[in-house]
Amino acid sequence: MIAVLGLVVGVVAGLVVRPVVPLAVEPYLPIAVVAALDAVFGGLRAMLDGIFDDKVFVVSFLSNVVVAALIVFLGDKLGVGAQLSTGVVVVLGIRIFSNAAAIRRHVFRA
Amino acid sequence: MSDDSTPGQGLPPERGLPPERRLPPERELPPERQETADAQGRETAGAQGEDGGPRLTGRQRLAKAVWPPRVTRAQLIVALLLFVLGLGLAIQVRSTSENSALRGARREDLVRILDELDDRTKRLEDEKRQLEGQRTQLETSSDQAEEARKQTRQKAAQLGVLAGTVAAEGPGIRMTIKDRAGAADSDALLDAVQELRAAGAEAMEVNGVRVVASTHFTDSGGGVSVDGHRIEQPYRFEVIGKPADLEPALNIPGGVVQTLKNKQATVDVTRSGKITVDALRQAKRPDYARSSSQ
Repeated sequence: MIAVLGLVVGVVAGLVVRPVVPLAVEPYLPIAVVAALDAVFGGLRAMLDGIFDDKVFVVSFLSNVVVAALIVFLGDKLGVGAQLSTGVVVVLGIRIFSNAAAIRRHVFRA
Repeated sequence: MSDDSTPGQGLPPERGLPPERRLPPERELPPERQETADAQGRETAGAQGEDGGPRLTGRQRLAKAVWPPRVTRAQLIVALLLFVLGLGLAIQVRSTSENSALRGARREDLVRILDELDDRTKRLEDEKRQLEGQRTQLETSSDQAEEARKQTRQKAAQLGVLAGTVAAEGPGIRMTIKDRAGAADSDALLDAVQELRAAGAEAMEVNGVRVVASTHFTDSGGGVSVDGHRIEQPYRFEVIGKPADLEPALNIPGGVVQTLKNKQATVDVTRSGKITVDALRQAKRPDYARSSSQ
């Protein structure tokens, strides 16, 4: 419950406070958000499976974000930033879908 | 999402688990559980098949985690991370939805747009400086009426060149088009005029007819009429402008000269340091339009 509240508060704060993202971080924000979403879906699924662990969640959340940003950074340096971002989004999208399917099976039994 | 009393979440077995829940030995092995927990976020098919007996279903676990709210370490950490996620999500959505016209543009387009803006700024700055100079002269001149007349005369001369009411001279090019096959029709001449204008031509005449903004070309039985004056071959253009701009503009591949040559016409372009455009035309007094700047 508190976790859901945290998400809501975060969205509201982002919309109301309008923080300025540093220019250096800006290209990595979208990919980091997608990576974090993947971690959150994974965590939700693990909770439904009964194997949720906060330490694992924190590590997977942070490592997802860092690795995704790192891949994009590396891609930018190699001149294939756009393609690599697409690749990362595709992979994360597939994972989000498979996790969402597992969650759906738990919640709706279908 | 879960609290310390939820079974099977990867805590060491000696911490807080009721003894009866530890009974199934295969779930008590810490390495194996850690492995399963590591797999969260990964596809682990058949994980739900282990649920049975006293274990809760996923739906019940979700309901338990959501209500009643409990302040635990796990909840707080997850709440913090989700706060960060929500913040990033909101920032990203907001920044994507604003000024989307430039956001989607490619780098080269952005550079071009920036260049154009710079050019425009420079031109406007020049104009501003010039106008300020004129104002200063008007204000400080001992004979203000004479100064105003002088500026007005300059302006009238500039506009006269544009409107074709005064003669003009300066550097430019001569272009002669000879054509036996009838390739140089009104379309071809109009193309040439447009090309010259785009290249910065300031005053033009063709066979003694001044070319201005309202000039029109029509085909008339083997020749061309310019503003109603029939002109005969060869067509001689006298154009005032920067020769280094005008000549390449005519000679570009696929341009005026090449098109005419492909149609068996001969085109001759020469630069000249002094071109005189002395064909005049009457300024037509507008019937309805009046200057709004007075």
